[in-house]
Amino acid sequence: MTIHQVLFIVIALAILGAAIFVVTTSNLFRAALMMILTFFGVAGLFVLLDIGLFAVAQVLIYIGAISILVIFAVMLTRGMQGMVPRNSQAVAAAVVAGIIFFVLLLLFGPLRTTIDVARWPIVSLFARNVSPRDVGGVEWIPPGQPIPAVPETYIADFGRALVDLNQYLLPFLLIAFLVDVVLAGAIFIARQRRPAEVIEDRQRQAEEAAEEAEAMRRAGMTPDVAALPEGAVASTAEH
Amino acid sequence: MNFINDLLKIIGDFIAGIINSIFGFSPFLADLVTMGLAAVILCTFAALSFMGLTYVERKVVARIQDRVGPNQAGPLGLLQPIADGIKMFTKEDTTPAAADRWVYNLAPLVIAVFALTTYAVLPFAPDVVGTNLNVGVFYIIAVGSGSIVAIIMAGWGSNNKYALLGAFRTVAQLVGYEVPMLLNVLPVVMLAGSMSLVDIINQQTTLNGNPGIPFIVFFPLSALVFLISGIAETARSPFDLLEAESEIVAGFHVEYSGMKFALFFLGEYVNALAVAFVFSTLFLGGYAGPVLPPYIWLLLKAAAVFFVFMWLRGTLPRIRVDQMHNMNWKFFVPVSIVHLVVVMALLKLFVTNPAMAQANGGILVTPGVQAAILFTASMLILIGSLMIAARRARIMRLQEEAVLEQRRAENIAAVSA
Amino acid sequence: MRTDFAFVGVMLVTAALLMGVTLVAASLLRPKKPSKAKLETYECGMETVGDTWVQFRVQYYILALVFVLFDIEAILLFPIAVAFNSLTFFAVANVILFIVVLLIALLYAWRKGALDWE
Repeated sequence: MTIHQVLFIVIALAILGAAIFVVTTSNLFRAALMMILTFFGVAGLFVLLDIGLFAVAQVLIYIGAISILVIFAVMLTRGMQGMVPRNSQAVAAAVVAGIIFFVLLLLFGPLRTTIDVARWPIVSLFARNVSPRDVGGVEWIPPGQPIPAVPETYIADFGRALVDLNQYLLPFLLIAFLVDVVLAGAIFIARQRRPAEVIEDRQRQAEEAAEEAEAMRRAGMTPDVAALPEGAVASTAEH
Repeated sequence: MNFINDLLKIIGDFIAGIINSIFGFSPFLADLVTMGLAAVILCTFAALSFMGLTYVERKVVARIQDRVGPNQAGPLGLLQPIADGIKMFTKEDTTPAAADRWVYNLAPLVIAVFALTTYAVLPFAPDVVGTNLNVGVFYIIAVGSGSIVAIIMAGWGSNNKYALLGAFRTVAQLVGYEVPMLLNVLPVVMLAGSMSLVDIINQQTTLNGNPGIPFIVFFPLSALVFLISGIAETARSPFDLLEAESEIVAGFHVEYSGMKFALFFLGEYVNALAVAFVFSTLFLGGYAGPVLPPYIWLLLKAAAVFFVFMWLRGTLPRIRVDQMHNMNWKFFVPVSIVHLVVVMALLKLFVTNPAMAQANGGILVTPGVQAAILFTASMLILIGSLMIAARRARIMRLQEEAVLEQRRAENIAAVSA
Repeated sequence: MRTDFAFVGVMLVTAALLMGVTLVAASLLRPKKPSKAKLETYECGMETVGDTWVQFRVQYYILALVFVLFDIEAILLFPIAVAFNSLTFFAVANVILFIVVLLIALLYAWRKGALDWE
């Protein structure tokens, strides 16, 4: 085994382990941290694939930006600490993910060269005359054949391809518009939701306070203890 | 003279030679040991410079503020860093009962590791560089985002309201100032045609028929914004909002003490020094310079930049949160974008390479003329944007005063009625 | 190329080891006498009240989102900047269009008050 294979197996196992932790843990924050670890692992895979630019971009976008966004979103939800978030559709999600994975494996994976899936009844509708390169994938290299090296100038090549009318100019410009729409939508939602959320929050707090007061009364405590803010009651109860 | 100039390289080759002869049976092992040793040297350099800088900074800031600074440990207080080190090692250090133990204890390690990893791509002299990545600049900024994760870990792991608030404030600041930093590295990359730090330095030397003009002449605005964003990125005064004692005691590291706190401190200083190095590399020509050996030039330039950091720290009061955000999103980012567009247009209009001028059109000029054009454009944008900002600020102040005046009049009317 | 990044990996591991050793050494050297009062959450001498998990303002989320957008913009611009010398006028005009569209997003966010920090 070469050092690359060893590294690949180590990184892949780390990614898998962290990903399983993400979907099984009930602690949202730890799940987010483990997600960062999987992102880091993916950056490692990019390095093994010889494209440092994508590895660094992965770290910058996914670790530096997306995960921060996720953590901020987690912190926006209030009172998640006492709850155990559970996914009621875990099995269905696993089945769908499995099917998608299998389909991708057939279309772009090693089986593609041995079984001609492109001729299968339904697949042929999508995969007819389409090579993986056309849809952004990579050609599968049969075992034993040398892996073509990434050219030294790949960063500049990528940059030129981004603004080339025959290559990625349209997607490149669409990204800018997409990003505009996303931002406008987010601002709209954040602006519109705020008063409603506040009202909802206040209602829930009032209900909780009422329940707490009820529980206190049942426990035979004096009403003025129940009148304290809920946090104070909780901390005196702990000591 | 050559021996002194290439001193670092000669020493490095000597050590690598010894290692190669010891591990001659396995080139892979020899490479690994060489790289490990280089990594240890870089880490030691960073840690030692951290110790030195704490002392120098305290002395300099003390001088600026008309104090003496540390003067008890050893002559002139020179042993102060060692005394601090002993204290940090032997200080009792608690993990709060409510803390998330793993996250809490890992956070200082993460911040220190990411800070030290920045040094892997810094070129100290010709051929003396950890690794010449072709994504060098990009890599440095990406590694910086690792400290953001560490700060969130520290804030959340402490399970303390102040720590969490401080962490969020800091993260909002760090991610915000990453944008102008990225946008102002772009002009440099455009002119150099490469993201590798070595290539960027070579473009600023007289090597290969390059003009030998440091990039600060081409992009003074970028240099200024990069420097200020760099200070904000390392959360140094006047951007040390995370340390606002009166508001959030000490921010995300309020629960840390002893060695763990020292690692946060180390991360901060090592990052600040890295920013000084990167600034000297991108805009001041890095190790390029006449007469003196290259590594001395780099150290001198970095020291000068770091002195500016200390100077600002000793002089300016801490800015408010809203001022910090406004300065970034409403001044730096728009101005950087406008600057970027202008630079793009000018670099296409005035080209220095005859082949490019023939292929794509554009006016052929000498590098000196190009620099003069870009400098003028940069300065015009800077002055113009400052004037617009000043005008807006004046209008807003007048409006505020008008509102206050109105309120006062209403109060008087209410009292008299 | 891959060997370029090998040093980064070695550096990560070395730095983690060195810092880990420092932490362990410190934990061996320092006294360890925890008490209940010492382990309490710090809050200027007061007992802490309520959850740590207070609700954060939406502002943080919006700022993070604006940041993500500009991060993506910058990352796409970097390879273009590397290739800049060989680009045609047409390509550069498109890049400028890309930047201007994002500038509009910033101005929109500004107008809507998403960048204000009360």
